[in-house]
Amino acid sequence: MPKEITVDPAIVRQKSTLSFAEIPVNAYATPFAEERARRGDAALTEILRHMLVIREFESMLGSFKATGAYAGIPFNYKGPAHLSIGQEGAAVGAALALEPDDHIFGSHRSHGEFIAKGLSAIARLDEASLQAIMGGHQDGALLQSVTSHLGGEGKALAENFLLFGLLAEIFMRANGFNGGMGGSMHAFFPPFGAYPNNAIVGASGGIATGAALRKKLSGATGITVANSGDGSTGCGPVWEAMNFASMAQFDTLWGDKQGGLPVLFFFNNNFYAMGGQTIGETMGWDRLSRIGAAINPASMHAETVDGSNPLAVADAVARKRALLLDGKGPALLDVECYRISGHSTTDASAYRTREEMQLWEPHDPIALFQAKLLAEGILTDASLAALREQVVAQITAVTAAAVNPEAAPIVDVRADPTLIGKLMFSHNEIPVPATPAPLIAQPETSARIRQNAKKARFGLSETGEKLSAMRAITLRDGLFESVLHHMVNDPSLIAYGEECREWGGAFGVYRGLSDILPHDRLFNSPISEAAIVATAVGYALEGGRSLVELMYGDFIGRAGDEIFNQMAKWQSMSAAALKVPVVLRCSIGSKYGAQHSQDWSALVAHIPGLKVIYPATPYDAKGLLASALSSDDPVVFFESQRLYDVVEQFRPEGVPTEYFRVPIGEPDIKRVGSDLTILTIGPSLYSAIAAAEQLETNHGISAEIIDARTLVPFHYEKVLESVRKTGRLLLVSEASERGSFAMTLSSNITRFAYGDLKAAPRVLGSPNWIVPGAEMESTYFPQVEDILDVVTSDFFPEKRVNRRGVRNWDDLELARLAL
Amino acid sequence: MDIPLLMPQLGNETTEAELTEWLKSEGDAVTEGEQILVVTTTKLSMEIEAPATGVLKQIVVPEGDLAEIGTTLAIIATE
Repeated sequence: MPKEITVDPAIVRQKSTLSFAEIPVNAYATPFAEERARRGDAALTEILRHMLVIREFESMLGSFKATGAYAGIPFNYKGPAHLSIGQEGAAVGAALALEPDDHIFGSHRSHGEFIAKGLSAIARLDEASLQAIMGGHQDGALLQSVTSHLGGEGKALAENFLLFGLLAEIFMRANGFNGGMGGSMHAFFPPFGAYPNNAIVGASGGIATGAALRKKLSGATGITVANSGDGSTGCGPVWEAMNFASMAQFDTLWGDKQGGLPVLFFFNNNFYAMGGQTIGETMGWDRLSRIGAAINPASMHAETVDGSNPLAVADAVARKRALLLDGKGPALLDVECYRISGHSTTDASAYRTREEMQLWEPHDPIALFQAKLLAEGILTDASLAALREQVVAQITAVTAAAVNPEAAPIVDVRADPTLIGKLMFSHNEIPVPATPAPLIAQPETSARIRQNAKKARFGLSETGEKLSAMRAITLRDGLFESVLHHMVNDPSLIAYGEECREWGGAFGVYRGLSDILPHDRLFNSPISEAAIVATAVGYALEGGRSLVELMYGDFIGRAGDEIFNQMAKWQSMSAAALKVPVVLRCSIGSKYGAQHSQDWSALVAHIPGLKVIYPATPYDAKGLLASALSSDDPVVFFESQRLYDVVEQFRPEGVPTEYFRVPIGEPDIKRVGSDLTILTIGPSLYSAIAAAEQLETNHGISAEIIDARTLVPFHYEKVLESVRKTGRLLLVSEASERGSFAMTLSSNITRFAYGDLKAAPRVLGSPNWIVPGAEMESTYFPQVEDILDVVTSDFFPEKRVNRRGVRNWDDLELARLAL
Repeated sequence: MDIPLLMPQLGNETTEAELTEWLKSEGDAVTEGEQILVVTTTKLSMEIEAPATGVLKQIVVPEGDLAEIGTTLAIIATE
């Protein structure tokens, strides 16, 4: 909603028609003699060799899956093998046009792209750089194995390093490129420009887009490539990514950072999405490249390219790359190629005819290209046979080494049972940021900051009266102050989400920041939750730091894969080589009913690889957000909409004006007591505090109240110590009880403190039905009366009085009714 | 006739707001619907329009102060 751009009815209401930039199909027409003169015979032979290396490498995997052996080497390979036999022209052609600084992000079927990119990088890098890259990886452990078990000099050694590192990874060995944590569908090696391959169809679209944004903003050279298949055009997140990459604001609003994102959406179109036929059956686009016309007026510079010819692919990629580097991105290539092999080794090709497969045999990119080289006299039958023999020997040697546990040791989890666990988080925090970022105005000029400066830092008056949110620093202000410090002092950090800029986010946390920060640091995103999170992950993988927002936690479902499979996993799947410093803010709503008020913290806490924070006071919100923004690990940061206006009531010294951090994982005692421990998550803190006052006054029960503050990690000590003292534990949260995080805490504390408990711990959450609208909310979220009822019935039955809350139900009976 | 400019209701739970900026000074001519004041709640800033055409006779609440909903912020003299 920038005011610079007017929606003018005089223009909008005019009669007109839309036209589309034309989309060429198979436009490549360069005479072979011209390619030969430009590239030279040796380079053309290398193209064939690279395709042969990929074909032989994948044939080896196929042979292991089908027969348990390859070239007389027996091996039981237990993992997947999604082969791209027949598609080598696309992979090698693309790599031919890419530099080492161009970063490819792939799919489950990306062995070919990985090998092609690696071979291309090896060809382009000098030997000293290659030596430094190989020696620097895993402190030289992989290079050591390759040297002693395979050998080779110079570039030959580097090729062995590439192929062995990949195969050891596919075999899930300790010295595979990703420490065995990635495997076949995820292998990658950033120093050669091969970034994560992704087993989720189309997931690389958003990640490569975010990486392109980082390249653009950091001034790094090169482009990013999102490799995926034709089937991925049926995935919403791919469309979200293409749309995000095409946002008009890059040209209309980004000032000196003007220009499109340098990302190429490269579709390896093999006509089949597993068994669904994309032309004629499961899609309506007829030719995949047509979808470019739906995205922007340039039709994303889309083209359909003949993937059977690596030279046609190289030509197209080189032209698109030049456009991208010129700020005219994004671009789209529909590279048609035919997968001769099955989708996987269990694919019986039930969906296609033998006749169709025979039709394509003469169009095999290797058969075509070698015939051309023979016909042109670049190769002879003898030199071709020698070349093929050399490739087979190379793959055989690499395979023999990779099945040898001495060369490729297993990941010994039995020797170190938490080995994988140790890869989940770095627990690293950056120093207090102190690099001034370019601003459009000084912070002092912002009305928000001047307003905050007038506010009291503590929320209670001298007589103990609560100050209004206009007169004391609120939780919203606490969040703002930490964001402000990081945004102003860390140029690598960007913030975005829906309505984040002029509006300051739907709940005004960023209000005022748009006066200070340029568009490239704080911008409005489309309503594309998947793209918001995926691009944040890509931006972080490429070396930046991201702060993104989902307006409501209920929209987590829209970004499920991106949070659960991408944000949570690349640190560990890279064996800690990559980091994912992303903070995802999610507000938890109220008053808007069943799809806008759910506490889904347990969903996120359930997924390994995410830190989860849920503060309830201005002090904690400010300090914990500073810690989250400093964390090199991904963090999901929950905020209750009902608490944005709360003022600080617990720390008499107030919320410090200065920057500070609160350690992630430490629960905090908010009220000291001796008879009962109440552990709260989020806003339940305030109901518990009010209940504790009444318990003290009316029943003589002294309750100790602990605010969890963080769900993952969680340091139990303080709670255990409290339970040791009180012997009773009530957990209160606003999440539906079944499967909630309070249930996890309750179960663990029962175990850890069993001997200290005088009664079974009790969880008081919301019932297992929909959140009703505002009128009925007090019947749903735990209220003060509900807490009083539970305490006086479960823990102190002798103090029982008439029920005050609405919860008259029998939990056993409800469970039978699926409630 | 003197027409008071009142602090409007700015949301269900808002009880007071800050007068962030007077866009007009005392003595200025104002037109009904013209934006004359920026007020800010905890969550958002918004522009307040003149309720009538006339002269901004008196600014009752100065810039930077807080005022509760319904408070007279200024007087506009018509005719």
